[in-house]
Amino acid sequence: MSETTVRVAEGPALVLAGYEGKPLRDLADYRAVGGYEQLEQARTRDPQAVIQEIVESNLRGRGGAFFPTGRKASFIPTPDKIAKPIYITVNADESEPGTFKDREIMLKVPHRLVEGCLIAAHAIQSQQVYIYIRGEYLAEYESVQGAIDEARAAGILAGVEITIHRGAGAYICGEETGLLESLEGKRGQPRSKPPFPAISGLYASPTLINNVESITTIPAILAVGPPEYAKIGAPPDSTGTRLFCLSGNVERPGVYEAPHGITPRHLIYDIGGGVPGGHTLKAVMMGGSSFPVMTPDDLDTPLDADSLGQKGYFIGSGVVTVIDERTCIVQFALRVAQFYMHESCGKCTPCRVGTRWLVQLLRAVEEGRAQERDLDLLLDVCDRIIGKCLCVLGDSAAMPVASCVTKFRDEFRAHLEHGGCPFGADSQLARLFAPVDQHAHTPVAQEALV
Amino acid sequence: MSTELVKVTIDEREVHVPKGTGIVETALAAGIEIPVFCYEPRLGEPVGACRMCLVEVSPGPPKPQAACTLTAADGMEIKTARTSELAADAQHATLEFILVNHPLDCPVCDKGGECPLQDLTFRYGPGSTRMSFEKLTFEKPIPISPTISLDRERCILCYRCTRFSEGVSEDMQLIAANRGAMSVITTFEDLPYTGAFTGNVTELCPVGALLPTQYRFEGRPWEIADVPTVCGLCPVGCNIHATVRETKVKRILSRNHPEIDEGWICDKGRFAFTHIRAADRLVQPLLRRHRHGLEEVSWEEATDEAERLLRNARGRIVTALSGSETVEIAYALGKLLRRGLDSHQAMLPEEVSGALDAYRLPLSAIREADAVVVLGDVPVVERAPVVDLWIKAARRNGARILDDPDDPAVAEAERVVLVWSGPGGRGGATVAELAEKLGLAGRDGCGAFHLPETPNARGAADAWAACCDEEPAEQESIGLLVVSGDEAAADEHVRALAEQAEATIVLSMFGGLSAGWADLVLPGTSYLERDGTFVNLEGRLQRLRRAATPPCPDELEWIAALAARFEVDLAPYAPSVFAEVSELVYGGLSFGEVGERAPLRGYPEAREHVERPALPEPHPQLRKGEIRLVAYKPLFSGAAVERVTELQFQRPGPELELSAEDARQRGIATGDAVTVGSDGSSVTLRARVNRHLRSGIARVPLEHANGLQGTVELAKAQEVSA
Repeated sequence: MSETTVRVAEGPALVLAGYEGKPLRDLADYRAVGGYEQLEQARTRDPQAVIQEIVESNLRGRGGAFFPTGRKASFIPTPDKIAKPIYITVNADESEPGTFKDREIMLKVPHRLVEGCLIAAHAIQSQQVYIYIRGEYLAEYESVQGAIDEARAAGILAGVEITIHRGAGAYICGEETGLLESLEGKRGQPRSKPPFPAISGLYASPTLINNVESITTIPAILAVGPPEYAKIGAPPDSTGTRLFCLSGNVERPGVYEAPHGITPRHLIYDIGGGVPGGHTLKAVMMGGSSFPVMTPDDLDTPLDADSLGQKGYFIGSGVVTVIDERTCIVQFALRVAQFYMHESCGKCTPCRVGTRWLVQLLRAVEEGRAQERDLDLLLDVCDRIIGKCLCVLGDSAAMPVASCVTKFRDEFRAHLEHGGCPFGADSQLARLFAPVDQHAHTPVAQEALV
Repeated sequence: MSTELVKVTIDEREVHVPKGTGIVETALAAGIEIPVFCYEPRLGEPVGACRMCLVEVSPGPPKPQAACTLTAADGMEIKTARTSELAADAQHATLEFILVNHPLDCPVCDKGGECPLQDLTFRYGPGSTRMSFEKLTFEKPIPISPTISLDRERCILCYRCTRFSEGVSEDMQLIAANRGAMSVITTFEDLPYTGAFTGNVTELCPVGALLPTQYRFEGRPWEIADVPTVCGLCPVGCNIHATVRETKVKRILSRNHPEIDEGWICDKGRFAFTHIRAADRLVQPLLRRHRHGLEEVSWEEATDEAERLLRNARGRIVTALSGSETVEIAYALGKLLRRGLDSHQAMLPEEVSGALDAYRLPLSAIREADAVVVLGDVPVVERAPVVDLWIKAARRNGARILDDPDDPAVAEAERVVLVWSGPGGRGGATVAELAEKLGLAGRDGCGAFHLPETPNARGAADAWAACCDEEPAEQESIGLLVVSGDEAAADEHVRALAEQAEATIVLSMFGGLSAGWADLVLPGTSYLERDGTFVNLEGRLQRLRRAATPPCPDELEWIAALAARFEVDLAPYAPSVFAEVSELVYGGLSFGEVGERAPLRGYPEAREHVERPALPEPHPQLRKGEIRLVAYKPLFSGAAVERVTELQFQRPGPELELSAEDARQRGIATGDAVTVGSDGSSVTLRARVNRHLRSGIARVPLEHANGLQGTVELAKAQEVSA
């Protein structure tokens, strides 16, 4: 696998500050760019003041839900209010198709993640941090473990324990309560909320759960100062920079740090070099595979939560995956649905049953066995999943599928009229999604993949 | 739950409920049904998995919420499917999804007609399907044990069964495997689902996925009747329904008495009922003819013979009761023998005491305790299974479960419950003394229980005592031994007496038990065939109802006939006999008032008065390093269980339980062969280390004890070299 391009594309270097092509894996290198200074200073301040600073920065969760990080921290009861340990859990189970930024953070600036963990631990007065990392991330695990070991040896942890837990390959364990269940050694399935993890999380104790990028941003916020940070990007809600994951049929895929508010067109064409081989952009997997696909006419929508929201899009985990005209959108929708069918945990009815039904319907469309009313049925099944599940995994399957049917209805219809896929074998998903047979090693065997 | 009342509006109806009440219950209080599948409050925290209970909530998010996970707060407004299109559509969607893979085999499904999925589909579901693809199929049915069949195609994955296994019985054997649409319920490592409470999942299952194998294709809901009665196989007295079809009992269901069983019954109570149709069930009396052994005789001849034996004994009669007689049978026997024949001597398999009457509590109080002290060394689950579930619930509630009444935690606890589970205990007197010493009398939520061996020893003893005021006189010889019931017939003390007796009459359900030594055998009936009353270990008087017609005249019938020959006036009907007993023991309570779900009453007139069998001496203090072997009667043993083929897998293996400390000292690990010996006899057993067992104690099921009991030596068995 070739090295992923990782660089600051625009604006201030925050999460990637100090990274100039050489990973800052040694403590000395990280210290040389001001590493752990923010931690030292934060520890001299009142924990509540540190939470207040994060609130001021208006940092929003980078895992996909965009929840205010500072507010989440302020929900955690202080130790004098509750006779239980307080935990921090860092979500490094990066599994959203198209997302590979946390991977690069852990490889390139692991100490900044550790520093972020320790500042957060100071802010909510926690002694124990768990980093839940997806099992496939071996090099990333070693990188972060190395940073923790170095920090411990240097006395930086100061009594706080940081433990990495490696997952076993379930998308649902990236959902915060599914993650907690898995971390407790149970079957990875989401919990019903409330109670929210801030009150009753890991081992029924107050738990702050943050994405890797969110936590890693904290030292950067303190470095520039929260009020300054809040001016970067697209204030008031989409402050700061983020690591955009540019992939798909684009000339220069990579992880690019840039402020909120740049446009997809700028990202794809100016930063990413556009669609290669003279092909044309057909759609963008915007925010991640869980969200509605973007059509070319919306390429000038600024990449901030509000602007995207007005047009029915989500910023998600910063994914921008370029789909060009060679891709059959039915095949794309089918592949997305197959992913979610495979990853549905099976706990709640609409997701468990609905995702399989979606796959069956899409397969029928793709093979020309469907009728016009099946397209309406597809939309109706999506509608019956969205908003009715225990967690958002079901929505994540239904939203992209519904958007494909709605926005590319003519292409779906062409399948019906053509009696099969008009693209035939020429359509390909190679740069968008792993082949479906990657699921075949599990009990969801061929038969179940309908 | 707080006592503060809050106002909740449900479909425009206002109700006031305690803050924190579940919304499903709140709606019920308003007379509105919120349909559910996965929700079952007895299984602990709601999980919100099935999505059947989706409602619209304000204040709240704009999407439908699972009502089962919400609790009542002041000013809350709930709109169910009756008034909210959003909720109605969500509910419709859930049912459509559930039915996507559910086979439409209701006509051949045992659940059909009593199936929540069927009922809710009729009430809320779509009339047709839009699913035109192949449904998921699985191999079926899978016997997850000899008593339970699993049909994965019907399963709607509500996780009630796995939650029961994890959070109620705590056996952890039922699990979900795989993921998403391919999720299946299975047992850990595909081993048979074994344990005292497995059958409860067949009742929890809201569809026909987990079914009792005994009941497969045995009945349809419109041709059965559920007879409310009480289980007679152990002293808990769980409330049950006996499902009857064409006068035959086809299955046993729980009948939730919230103070006794909370709707959980053990597998013995659920599956052992087929013993009433055992091949060796006696239906005709048997008489010993000297040359020919026992042979069948008519009831008339048997009654004549009984009369002759009773007269010949000239008052030198000893009666061995089983403790499984109804109050009425014990009274009838007592009245005949004591008033008619002046024979007052009786024995029970165990001692009975009224000493605990001052410490009575409903079993459900155990769950609310802060400290539960379990004494006596026999596993609670083997003696009184459901009590074990209450103790587990107490532990989940945060209670300390202790084996030492001197533990400081006992003194600190506000609510203390003592449980005596073992030999000795003097019918509850020992634990009552302890309760007194701890000052538990009159303290809220404090009390004590003695777990007897027999289901109705207290009731039988009180009834026998009430018959007459005469005291038994010393007898030089036994003219006649009357053995009442199978437990007494199997008792070695009773058999020893039979050798001294000039003649023996045995009342027994099964041949074989008395074949070698009885002169006259009269067929007995089962608790499922009796009308009458039982007193359980709480001291609660409960009502038995006849579910099946006995294949022979019942005890009251021929006892009354026999009594008439001795000028004793006795009606052959349980209500009449009870009326007599009640005047003497139960304060004149009428039969009809005993109650379908009987309350726990006090019975001040009850007296202690029964001859005692020789009791084991109080345990001598063990010297350091010594081990006392407790050989206990396992739950799955006894005359009934032995006659049910499909329960044999539940019988305990040749296993010895020992404490972690004793195991460590002897270098024994779980699975090792150990030799247990005393006075030259020994037995080799498989070791199982139990870290909850106190040191100095080892436990073994009676049938594997090889007669050993008391102080024993214990060592790892020598490997036999090849």
